[in-house]
Amino acid sequence: MNSMRGNVDARLDALLRAYREACPTPEPSANFMPDLWQRIESRQSFTFSLQRMASAFVTAALALSLALGVYMSIPRSNPASYSQSYLEALADANTLDIPDYVSPVRLELSDTGR
Amino acid sequence: MLVDFELIKRAQTGDSAAFNEIVLAYRKRILGTITRLIARPEDVEDVAQEVFLRLYFSLDQLRTAEVFEPWLHRLTVNAAYDYLRKQRRRQEFRMSDLSEQQVMLADAAAGGKVEHDEQRRKRVRESVQSLLGAVSEADRILLVLKEVEGLSLKELEKVYKVNENALKVRLFRARQRVLKAYESAVAREATGQSR
Repeated sequence: MNSMRGNVDARLDALLRAYREACPTPEPSANFMPDLWQRIESRQSFTFSLQRMASAFVTAALALSLALGVYMSIPRSNPASYSQSYLEALADANTLDIPDYVSPVRLELSDTGR
Repeated sequence: MLVDFELIKRAQTGDSAAFNEIVLAYRKRILGTITRLIARPEDVEDVAQEVFLRLYFSLDQLRTAEVFEPWLHRLTVNAAYDYLRKQRRRQEFRMSDLSEQQVMLADAAAGGKVEHDEQRRKRVRESVQSLLGAVSEADRILLVLKEVEGLSLKELEKVYKVNENALKVRLFRARQRVLKAYESAVAREATGQSR
């Protein structure tokens, strides 16, 4: 069994050696360098346009933030309901027909139990 | 090393002529390695160009001269790996694709019995490609670098940045899988002959 395995091992080694010989190094074509530079340039222009897009996006975001900041800081004439203070609004809401839940409790003590 | 570090430094500063010299110095070696890794002559130049393209855009990260060659090897391995993965999606190489005749002819070729040279080479290529289809792309590349390209474990350590023991284990497993595939092909061949 081991010798058979060893045999297969050796055959595989021989096949791999033959494979190296069967794949000789090819000669590069005449267009190798021009094609390579073309690919480098197209990648560079892609990266460049990506960078330009990113910087345009950042500029637009900054401008928008600035515009929002300015808009928020401008004082506006508010409607009446917003001109009251909280306490004033609370007093208005607490009219007489609403029972006063926080009025002191009156205890009426009678002598009937004595 | 085929180029000196000064040339690499010049290329790092954007000197196109220096980069050209580096490509010219390593082009043939890279083409040879890729040929044996992917075994598709029509796509070899394309993958080699991808290697040098990646080199161009990552050259500024290189700090020392000693790591240049292992690093270039790693770029080659990565480009071949990407290519093989794309290929696998297109066409699955399976052991069953390896016909009995192919095994027989591959064995004959490996043993030195000949028919026409180019035919024989083609069959050896096809046979080995089918056998290597039995392992993952990563293991296939590792196996080819070790068994076909003849890289030492020390060199592979630098390429893969893993320790020798881990490499040995991976190599052993990959070889076992290929051996198993080869044994079944040989067994099928024997069955075919006895009929």
